[in-house]
Amino acid sequence: MRRMGLRTFLVVSLLAIAPAVFAQEQAFTNRSTELRDRGAADARVVASLPENTAVKVLARGGGWTRVEANGQSGWVSVFALRFPATVETGSSSAGGSALSGITSLFGGGRSADKPATIATTGIRGLSPEDLKNASPDNAALAKMQGYRADKPAAERFAREGKLATVSVDEPQGGRR
Amino acid sequence: MKRIFLVTLLGACTAANAQFGGFDLGKALDIGRKVVENKDAVKEYTQDEEIALGDALTASVLGASPLHPDANLQRYVNRVGKWVALHSDRPDLPWSFAVIDTDTINAFAMPGGDIIVSSGLVKRLSSESELAGVLGHEIAHVVKKHQLQAIQSSARGNLFASVGKDLAAERIGRSGGGYAAQAVKTAASNAAADLIKDGFFLRPLDRSMEYEADQLGVVIATRAGYDPYGLVSALQMLAQYKGGADAASMLSTHPPAGDRIGQLEQVLPSVQQYASHPQLEGRFRQVVGAAK
Repeated sequence: MRRMGLRTFLVVSLLAIAPAVFAQEQAFTNRSTELRDRGAADARVVASLPENTAVKVLARGGGWTRVEANGQSGWVSVFALRFPATVETGSSSAGGSALSGITSLFGGGRSADKPATIATTGIRGLSPEDLKNASPDNAALAKMQGYRADKPAAERFAREGKLATVSVDEPQGGRR
Repeated sequence: MKRIFLVTLLGACTAANAQFGGFDLGKALDIGRKVVENKDAVKEYTQDEEIALGDALTASVLGASPLHPDANLQRYVNRVGKWVALHSDRPDLPWSFAVIDTDTINAFAMPGGDIIVSSGLVKRLSSESELAGVLGHEIAHVVKKHQLQAIQSSARGNLFASVGKDLAAERIGRSGGGYAAQAVKTAASNAAADLIKDGFFLRPLDRSMEYEADQLGVVIATRAGYDPYGLVSALQMLAQYKGGADAASMLSTHPPAGDRIGQLEQVLPSVQQYASHPQLEGRFRQVVGAAK
């Protein structure tokens, strides 16, 4: 009983610190798979999940995803999940054909000027028309090139992050 | 394109034959071959031309969407990108990276090593290894010259003719000496303007190219010392978003993220041993979280 309480407490507190973006993220198992107590193939199996089990994603990272399934939390392989696309992106929620009338009221040609229908404020969108009608900004190109990192800077940066080069062959077979 | 040209040529010869009697197929094919070879020669870009074309395309994307104002963010993405690119087969290209200030989720790879990612994409990532995976994918496109292939194999005759003509004109200019660099620039600007107007960045590449860039991107990021699962993790994030027709988003130009994850399941076992390598969430959040 006490142990259950502790576990519930842990789950709740982990949920609380999980980034907001994951809070509503829903996924389904795309095969029957195991829910494990750590993100490792040799970790203890907490539960067996049949194909199409609904899970809530708590955190992603590495080859394992932390999920909650049927009230239990644990880790499943990233490859055992499928994600239905449910979230509108900021710019796709703004404008669109249904809103084109409203847009013209605001006199906005660019999607940046379109009113957002969902949550997001200050949307700076990039519409297909923006991309097709763009005129080159060579000053911005020069500014971009001014941010380049040279090789020594990149190597220093890698050392700070404890990133060490490893040798991996190019994938065989190439394109299918 | 090639084939259409040959058929046209053969057709012309056959017509001539009907008129004058006597048709030398061997000769016709010979002429055809020569023309095709010449066309191929025009289509081969030098590295300077590739870079000039990429810069011109980049300038246009930056004309459509401004640079993100946070200099720290720009430098950070350049360091991650350069470090990853140093582990590709083309480490010596003048790799440049930029974050554009838009909430739309997108990334662009230009021939020659310019890579642009949107702040809408970067801010939805959660670690440096995810960013390295995304940049690895874009770097792989450049290394494999996927965009150049798409330009060259475009079915749009006018587009191809225009690019070919511009670069051919530049070659004539160069053979005369003197104006070479400026001629390349001008030709590239003209070609880029045509490509942009034609909606080059709104059309998908071949699926096979995307899958190849995913696989090679994972390998390049892994070579650079990152957790190999960065790209898979970024794709998981992408998978939850719906594309919208009104947004110039990578969601509408790439295969579904779930399919891409499925394809990567074949390559990940070979780099599984590096799964404990750094994800660098802290460093990522510090820079990206501070960017407005």
